[in-house]
Amino acid sequence: MPNNQISEEDIKKFAELSDLDVSGQESKLAELLSSTIDYVKTLEELDTSNVEETFQVTGLTNVFRDGGSEDSLTKEHALSNAGEQVSGLFSTKAVFHR
Amino acid sequence: MTSLNELTIEEAIIGLKKREFSSVDLTKDCLSQIEKVDKKIKSLVTVTGEQALVDAQWADKMIKDRGAVIFEEYPLLGIPYICKDNFSTKGVKTTASSNVLKDYVPPFDSTVVERLKEAGAILLGKANMDAFAHGSSTENSDFFTTKNPWDTSRVPGGSSGGSSAAVAADMCLFSMGSETGGSIRGPASWCGVTGLKPSYGRVSRYGVVAMASSTDSPGPITKNVVDAAYVLNVVAGKDPRDATSSPVREFDYTPEKNISLKGIKIGKPASYFNIDLEPGVRKHVEDALNTLKNMGAEIIEMDLLDPKYSIAVYTILQRSEVSSNLARFDGIRYGSDRKKFGFEAKKRIMLGTYTLSSGYYDAYYAKAQKVRTLIKNDFEKAFQNIDVITAPSMPCIAPKLGESDKSPMFGEMIDLLTEPSSVAGLPGISIPCGFSDDMPVGLQFIGRFNGEKNIISVASLFQKGTDFHKSKPQL
Repeated sequence: MPNNQISEEDIKKFAELSDLDVSGQESKLAELLSSTIDYVKTLEELDTSNVEETFQVTGLTNVFRDGGSEDSLTKEHALSNAGEQVSGLFSTKAVFHR
Repeated sequence: MTSLNELTIEEAIIGLKKREFSSVDLTKDCLSQIEKVDKKIKSLVTVTGEQALVDAQWADKMIKDRGAVIFEEYPLLGIPYICKDNFSTKGVKTTASSNVLKDYVPPFDSTVVERLKEAGAILLGKANMDAFAHGSSTENSDFFTTKNPWDTSRVPGGSSGGSSAAVAADMCLFSMGSETGGSIRGPASWCGVTGLKPSYGRVSRYGVVAMASSTDSPGPITKNVVDAAYVLNVVAGKDPRDATSSPVREFDYTPEKNISLKGIKIGKPASYFNIDLEPGVRKHVEDALNTLKNMGAEIIEMDLLDPKYSIAVYTILQRSEVSSNLARFDGIRYGSDRKKFGFEAKKRIMLGTYTLSSGYYDAYYAKAQKVRTLIKNDFEKAFQNIDVITAPSMPCIAPKLGESDKSPMFGEMIDLLTEPSSVAGLPGISIPCGFSDDMPVGLQFIGRFNGEKNIISVASLFQKGTDFHKSKPQL
């Protein structure tokens, strides 16, 4: 496993990636995340070179449903918790800027 | 005379069938208990008393019109319950105890709530939890901290802390919780109630605010094991809305009559006992094993992978899945924007972002999934020779309020005896087995994948021969 400690610069990068405001908390987060990463390094003790991943435990594969439609939410219900709405649509901040 | 809110589901159904009391009486007693004690315990985020009484009147009418046979169609008719606040409830606020979802009112029911409604159960309110289920003490709720009914200077455990405290304090007949690493068995153990974490996929996750999708398992918290089986009978089974839900189930999870522990092989894993267990916990769990032995069970010394590896696996998987699941909160369709996340949620999202990021994925996430395979295989091998595995549910009794702040991985460390079975998707049940410093101690049984009936049977036999589950806190 990588040996690098998590720096305040890393924290700023993860914050941007996860769209979170962590200003003023960078050093505390760097410290806490580094100590957690230190702990999970215990997994290095186990040899997994010939082991497959278990992404899910159910053993189910190719779960499909029958084709067709069923009742879904009405537009009013779907919009009932919207932050902002315009003409029966969700309103979002601009994603692209000129 | 016993107040009706103190009854078990089984006792209440008998009373309702014989019309000794009505569902309105039962519901009113629960609501008065909430009124009386919840100022102190603070287990509830929302109380839905008015609707509960309307539903109870309907239940009474059905019982009057159709007689006792109605319970074949509505197996929990008129039974009041409380639901953890991460289960979507149509028209009733569902906050996950987070500021992000503080005002969110879902336009649909989670499958669990829908099935309970169809079975005639009556929703009394929504229970406090660690925000987004991030924690093991309920101190991470963005709203307030729930107190342990046995000692209000101690935590109830978490994340299903409100659900467990409410059952312990007789505010309802049962509650629903959810477990990802130890969030049902942990608080059930510390509150002295029965908590059943079903196999992953046994109970639908549809409409449950997602934490770690590969281990989230909804389950009942009850006053005894038989009641847990009653609730599982209603909520278990395939749900087309959850592709991971299991297509097979037992017809009836209640224990068969005339079973005994004779010849039952109970595994006692050395690595789960060779840890720093609180002496009181060790004593009562060892006493419980002797009781089981005297009842005819065979206690088999065996071993499993050191649970420390499960802590690491769980930490990586949980953080990774949290970062992905909580990405949906953008304030556009529902909830507030991302500024309202508490520190704990931010910390977890950030670490998950790291463990999933390019260059680190293989070292952390993929490695953890490989070790999960080792853990799963380890259990499968163990179950070739034994029927169930037993261990303490938690290594200590409920800590004092504020203790959880002292460790950045409090939850992961304290849940070390429940995390291995959680990451392997196995069922587990925690039941009270004694008292240390006047606080409940929990004993757990872990079963094979989809082997709920085995652990229910063994745990119910223990409760037949003991009465720890009948003790009530002084409120």
